[in-house]
Amino acid sequence: MSMPDRLQFYLMHFMPYPDVVPGRAQGQWVDIPNTHFDPEKGRKLYKEYLDELVLGDELGYDALVVNEHHSTFYSLMPSCSVIAGALIARTRQARICVFGTPITLTYPHRLAEEYAMLDVLSGGRLECAFPLGTGMEYWVNPLNPTNARERFRESMDVLMQAWTQPGPTRFDGEFYHYKYLNPFPLPYQKPHPKIYVVGSGTEDTVQYAAEKGYGYSQVFTPIAGQLKSFENYRSTAVKHGHTPDSESIIISAMPYVAETEAKAIEEGRDHILFYFNNLLRANSQMNTPPGYLPIDRLRRRLEAGVFQGSEITWDALTSVYRTVLGTPDQVAERIAFWCEQAESSRIIVHLHVGDMPHWKAVKNITLFAEEVIPRLRRKISPELKAAE
Amino acid sequence: MTEFRKCDLLVDGVRVQVIEAGKGKPLIYFHGAGAGGGFDELLPLAEKHRLIVPVHPGFGGSDDDLTISSVFDYVVHYATLFDALKLHEPVDLVGHSLGGWIASLFTIFQGHRVHRLVLACPAGLRVPEHPGVDLFMIAPEDLPSTLAASPMVLAKMTQSEVTVDMKVARYREMTSLARVIWERSCDPKLDRWLKHVSVPTLILWGEQDKILPVQQAQCWADRLGSGAEIAIFNGVGHLVFLESPGAVKRVASFLKVEAYNRLEDPNEASE
Repeated sequence: MSMPDRLQFYLMHFMPYPDVVPGRAQGQWVDIPNTHFDPEKGRKLYKEYLDELVLGDELGYDALVVNEHHSTFYSLMPSCSVIAGALIARTRQARICVFGTPITLTYPHRLAEEYAMLDVLSGGRLECAFPLGTGMEYWVNPLNPTNARERFRESMDVLMQAWTQPGPTRFDGEFYHYKYLNPFPLPYQKPHPKIYVVGSGTEDTVQYAAEKGYGYSQVFTPIAGQLKSFENYRSTAVKHGHTPDSESIIISAMPYVAETEAKAIEEGRDHILFYFNNLLRANSQMNTPPGYLPIDRLRRRLEAGVFQGSEITWDALTSVYRTVLGTPDQVAERIAFWCEQAESSRIIVHLHVGDMPHWKAVKNITLFAEEVIPRLRRKISPELKAAE
Repeated sequence: MTEFRKCDLLVDGVRVQVIEAGKGKPLIYFHGAGAGGGFDELLPLAEKHRLIVPVHPGFGGSDDDLTISSVFDYVVHYATLFDALKLHEPVDLVGHSLGGWIASLFTIFQGHRVHRLVLACPAGLRVPEHPGVDLFMIAPEDLPSTLAASPMVLAKMTQSEVTVDMKVARYREMTSLARVIWERSCDPKLDRWLKHVSVPTLILWGEQDKILPVQQAQCWADRLGSGAEIAIFNGVGHLVFLESPGAVKRVASFLKVEAYNRLEDPNEASE
């Protein structure tokens, strides 16, 4: 194992609405009364959040990442393309990553059109990742969770056909029928922008990404399970004639950087806990609608007690997940270790988390760019091994 | 009392379980969206009939049929199953909840196979002024009290611990149900189609039904081509047969060979 040499830093934002409604055991999703939304507050948050990402572009982050969720205080982005459009207009260098609209929530040809627009608008700065969508999305969109996986795959076939075969073409599937599949415009990048599949560790999603030669990224799940998925991904990809490299897999982390470790913990800890215990929380009905999980996976999760609904502990966050709070040296060390461990050169960093105020996000984004990234770029494998 | 016997049948390549009791003219029962509890409450119907309870694909002891994605697919399934069971003469058909929806659609399109029809709190009709609950969102701990109103049945439902096996079985049945009704738990076209039901029909409803409100009973009766008798049972929820032996008796009397005289039943409210 060695340290991948060309590290790429993806600054990601969830754009949460932090004024959560208290006393909701079921969480801040699906049936949360939207009367709690204050448009003035929303306007202020959009401005701060966009400013934070634009700052990331100025500070040299390789990519800016946005994603999409529906009917939830977890995210102010029910359409990541809209935010991506705003970002493109205000940035110069960073790649713009839509990680992304669940393709099954829209018509696949329409997503092909929208993403092509973003790629052309940005002069080829677009990267796309395709998630199945959380279980919660299925309650608030007219979409059946029982055939979501089949629909996802067919939708991806439509999108790829639309982007790679001279149109008009015909498509005849189980879910979609196109007599004239003919998106206009087409992507700026040829044959198309880099594509990732986002999964939560379900084996057949990992294998699907590997078989198709797409990249793979796993949502914030325990590291051990992720490493297993990555191994599965790499061996499957090779079997299908692809050559996975350090760019095939994107890992993600939640770092908070400050002058001292104590200060980092004091400033960062509660916002990260807030994210997990307030924003991410959803009860088992909402996160597992019928048919969303394969039955054997549901059984494994029930047996492991995944649905017990207990609050996540700080110990678990910092040992089982990629969360690190500390000085630039400490954060750089940890991230180097994680990249090496996952053999990945691409790392998503969540530097605004939960109910973090703007000033802390700006501080974290700045310190990470000016103090952590240079340390990581200087690091080479032998030094790292000595440090471990 | 008679007992159920079980056998397996292949229908379009899918193994389904068929539960039977008694002898006589066939009485087919289409169950609702849960087949885990058995059907012992129906055994009195086997005293005068050959009671046949086919378990829907995707439920209880039957295998999954992933090609079933609509209630109409179940109708086609049952047309095939009736052939397999050699049910060539018109039969008495009882359907509960989801099974009532299937039974009504079956009668619309396979009317020559049905002699008389009983619909127990059937699903499927669009009644915007009296909508049903979102069955999929009910928390496991709230399920018994949402399904049943009878204290005795409620006590029985809550006395045993819910095991992982039971949770997995319920998730599987809810998945099968979601395959056909996730997007919409009714069929707007049923409203127009019900006039093609031309056999004698009885509608049963628990007055305390929290899944599908009792007000829907009259909406069904108004739309059925043959009109319908309605019987409402006080203090009874959605599990009308499990909660009310009177409801089972009411079916038995409706399905008496020559007459449809109503039994005197203290449990039954006047309509």
